[in-house]
Amino acid sequence: MTFDRTTAIAVRVMREIVRDRRSLALIFLAPLLVMALVGFSFSEKQDTLDRVAPALISVFTLLFTFVLTGISFLRERSQGTLERLYVTPVGRGDVLVGYLLGFLVFAALQSLIILLFTVFVVDVNYRGDLWQMFVVLMVLTIFGVNLGIFASTFARNEFQVVQFIPMLFAPQIFLSGVVMPVEELPGYFQGPAEVLPLTHAVRALREIMLRGEALGDVMSEIAVLAAYATGLLVVAMATVRRT
Amino acid sequence: MASEHDNGGRGGTMRGPEQRPAVEARGLSFAFGRRPVLRDLVLSVQPGTAFGMLGANGSGKTTLVRLLAGLLKPDSGDVRVLGNPPGPGFSDRIGYMPQLNALYMSLTVRENVEFFARMCGVKDRQARTAAVDSVLELVELADRGRDRITSLSGGMRQRVSLAVALVHTPPVLLLDEPTVGLDPELRATFWKHFGRMTREGTTILISSHTMDDASHCDRLGFLRDGRFIAQGTPDELRSTTGVASASLEDAFLHLVRSGSLDGAPSS
Ligand SMILES: Nc1ncnc2c1ncn2[C@@H]1O[C@H](COP(=O)(O)OP(=O)(O)OP(=O)(O)O)[C@@H](O)[C@H]1O
Ligand SMILES: [Mg+2]
Repeated sequence: MTFDRTTAIAVRVMREIVRDRRSLALIFLAPLLVMALVGFSFSEKQDTLDRVAPALISVFTLLFTFVLTGISFLRERSQGTLERLYVTPVGRGDVLVGYLLGFLVFAALQSLIILLFTVFVVDVNYRGDLWQMFVVLMVLTIFGVNLGIFASTFARNEFQVVQFIPMLFAPQIFLSGVVMPVEELPGYFQGPAEVLPLTHAVRALREIMLRGEALGDVMSEIAVLAAYATGLLVVAMATVRRT
Repeated sequence: MASEHDNGGRGGTMRGPEQRPAVEARGLSFAFGRRPVLRDLVLSVQPGTAFGMLGANGSGKTTLVRLLAGLLKPDSGDVRVLGNPPGPGFSDRIGYMPQLNALYMSLTVRENVEFFARMCGVKDRQARTAAVDSVLELVELADRGRDRITSLSGGMRQRVSLAVALVHTPPVLLLDEPTVGLDPELRATFWKHFGRMTREGTTILISSHTMDDASHCDRLGFLRDGRFIAQGTPDELRSTTGVASASLEDAFLHLVRSGSLDGAPSS
């Protein structure tokens, strides 16, 4: 892996995103619209909103990051430029880390928008520190970027990337505490729920937002999430050569 | 820098059969699933020559190029470029132009060429700018450097794609139908450049459907049923028809139409 190539790839990825005005607008507007819709639908039930807000923020952060990354990386594959990159001395690590860095800037902005909008405009009550919530979301975002890259290696077109969404997200939404707290799930779902990465993100965010805990108190959750992100990066590195 | 690597074979004026081939395939077989594409193919391209691959649609030209570029792994047999099996370690010595012009559509001409130059290890900014300038000059797009690919015509995109393959001045060029969509004047200019490059020691493997391209190559190979059923200089191929006045086109059609040619000339 070389610093020069990695940054060149990251810069190029960012440039492409910035050039695409419509996508850029979507990156920033879509989360706002969705969070407004979801958030204000709870406006009569402040208690419920406060309780589900960490889960909503986590789910949409992951979802938007996944779609942004998955589709962009797939385009690299389908337009043939990825193949072209493979006939250069560029390593898989360069490509993946370059993409990760390039997407991360936009994914992070997206996540920040989701967080700030939910907290300040939808007006959720929270206790912990905002920056600590953001740190949790950043780890989740890195996981989402890697998940997008990983999934796109198994997709042949944009449509298939979108088809991954129900498969990857339905179990997480139902089991990770979005619909109801993990503790209230039937016993046989508790185990699987613990395995899902989103469960740990939701729990960490919930502890900080609702209980006012600090990052140090949710380190074990963050560690699990980070392990998933790293693991996916390693797996993606093994699969990324597929063209 | 582009000139850093010793351009294996470049500048070699002595050419002879004793010289190591720049591009080589031995007993090469490859199948997509259960469809065999290449069968026991043999190829040997001497350094500093242009080898033209001809063959019907689907005969396996692109597949062979991708095998040589290291994008596909042979089922059996052996592929060598400058003596090495193709792979990440040696790929800066290959200039690859895929059949479909793989470019970043929302980036400009310059940005595309410069990006790939950087990927190929042209690190120094000044050297890179100079390399991009000169290759854009070569494909006659110097005045379109700041235009996005989306705003270019098909032939212009093809030229950018060629520029990307040439920018790091690799000693081996693998060009998959590089002249498709080029106007005749530009095509003539390109062959002038290709001629200069081979004289300077660059090895060019090129696939094409046009007899015009074929006539410019030092050697031609006619791909059919997974192997080269005929190889030789354009003149030698012309004579395979047995008709003295035959054109390359006649030879081509003759080779396409004649049945199984297992005993055909394959020098
Ligand atoms: N990705 C692929 N998956 C499955 N089969 C493939 C794939 N690519 C090519 N083939 C098959 O391999 C054979 C050779 O294809 P190839 O693209 O190498 O032909 P070609 O000589 O380059 O043709 P053309 O002149 O049209 O460019 C064809 O039968 C084609 O259907
Ligand atoms: Mg082809």
